[in-house]
Amino acid sequence: MLDTLRSVTTPELIEVQLRPAGLLPRTLAWLIDFAIRLGVVMSVGTVLESLGDFGGGLLLLLYFGLEWFYPVLFEVLGKGATPGKRALNLVVVNANGTPIGWGASMTRNLLRTADFLPFAYGFGMVTMLCHREFRRLGDIVADTLVVYREKQQALPDLAEATPIMPTAPLDRATQRALVAFAERARGLTPARQEELADLVPHLAHDATGPQGAERLLGLANHLIGRRT
Amino acid sequence: MKQEFFEQQHAADWQAFEQWLKLSVNKRKDRPPLPFAAHELPQRYRHLCQHLALARDRDYSLSLVEHLHQLVQQGHDLLYGAQGNFGQRAWAYAAGGFAADVRANRWWVLAAALLLFGPQLAIMLAVHLQPDLAYLIMSPLEVARMEQMYSNDAQTLGRVAREASTDFQMFGFYIFNNVSIGFRCFAGGITAGLLTITALVFNGLSFGVVEMRLTQAGLAENFYSFVIGHSGFELGAIILSGAAGLRLGHAVIAPGQRTRGAALRDTARALIGMVCGLAVMLVIAALIEAFWSPLKLGLPIKLSVGGVLCVLPLVYFVFAGRRRA
Repeated sequence: MLDTLRSVTTPELIEVQLRPAGLLPRTLAWLIDFAIRLGVVMSVGTVLESLGDFGGGLLLLLYFGLEWFYPVLFEVLGKGATPGKRALNLVVVNANGTPIGWGASMTRNLLRTADFLPFAYGFGMVTMLCHREFRRLGDIVADTLVVYREKQQALPDLAEATPIMPTAPLDRATQRALVAFAERARGLTPARQEELADLVPHLAHDATGPQGAERLLGLANHLIGRRT
Repeated sequence: MKQEFFEQQHAADWQAFEQWLKLSVNKRKDRPPLPFAAHELPQRYRHLCQHLALARDRDYSLSLVEHLHQLVQQGHDLLYGAQGNFGQRAWAYAAGGFAADVRANRWWVLAAALLLFGPQLAIMLAVHLQPDLAYLIMSPLEVARMEQMYSNDAQTLGRVAREASTDFQMFGFYIFNNVSIGFRCFAGGITAGLLTITALVFNGLSFGVVEMRLTQAGLAENFYSFVIGHSGFELGAIILSGAAGLRLGHAVIAPGQRTRGAALRDTARALIGMVCGLAVMLVIAALIEAFWSPLKLGLPIKLSVGGVLCVLPLVYFVFAGRRRA
């Protein structure tokens, strides 16, 4: 399968689908986080420098904290995402789909050291590219996944049309395709709607052009239960 | 049931659920009232799961299924994401769980200790017989710097040649340096333990060289009065990180009747508490090393207080948390 979906069954016996994120978005997220950390160290560093040796000690502590605990704190307290990950709609979850806890987050971020070897996240990239769920060593050891989490969207309104009853029973795939077409119709140009309708002359009853598209919308309206 | 009717019937429920999720994040006092009480959440969540199952089974439109899926996912995160009481768990772990973990891993701890102290004793003997052998491990310059650091003219012990000049700066340095070493020693275990073994052996060798050269230079008194206070915590923590790394490496080499991934997962889950514990030990060691060890006090005081600090971790690991087990 080319699909990278991972289905997880929750205790309610419902399947939740997770979509693991690949190398590129995760690299970008890391770069954003790196830039943030660098910015913090540089800006706070100039302030701390004026405090002399005491400031130097504080700077080392800050650097230590950012190096090891920046991802952990954000992942556990910030709904599974560092600012970089949030910018790319990514979150870290346990392999069973539940939000990540302290232990798992610590493990996956400590293992960054191993992923970083031999240089520039070499091992991490290789394991990520070889793994079908794009896990780096830290993810394998901590049993975590980095997945896409899209923002909640409002339900789209199905394009209105006079409902038409199909003349013959439609199979499930066809029904699904018709409803999906009607949902997307508002975002398609009339020309594209007609082009799509022309691909299924048996459904459009040989009506072409605007009538064909209108007929498909009518069928979809009937399928979701609208009646005249 | 057709989709339109299904939506009409349940839209209010879904909206309430969505609203609840959105508002519950807001902790301020002036937030609008929640659409339903918190104790209703699990039940409403299960209803939502049922609706999603129905929507999938009846081939309702993709966007409706996706909408319900997202709501279910958010509810799932909220219900299963509770972290428990972190402070209480950490306290219980410090009060005995940590010691119990270390005792459970005692053979790994022993192995790590041998890998640290074995090379140390060997190189000490070698340098004692043939002082030039020290240069195998450290350059002459480094050896000279070490000797200067612990010389009698130094104002405070242990840091003259380093750039840092105040206790607090040294504290920052010790934390940054030592805790990072501890973490790396553990994580390096995934290379079948090779990095961990290298780190342990190399640290043992350099301790041995420094110790023997300073003894030969007649500076043993200064050296021991500096290191005795923090050595228990610091060496103890390094040995524990070595033990954790070795066990992780063992999971890679010999996963037993599990897949390698499963073996790594189980091992890491069993070890992560110990790794956090040793990080805390290193922080304590850094406090002692930065603020107590450099003090120039009479040797009897330094040795007696240092001796107590040194055996403290040992007493903890032997006696704490026995009742739990």
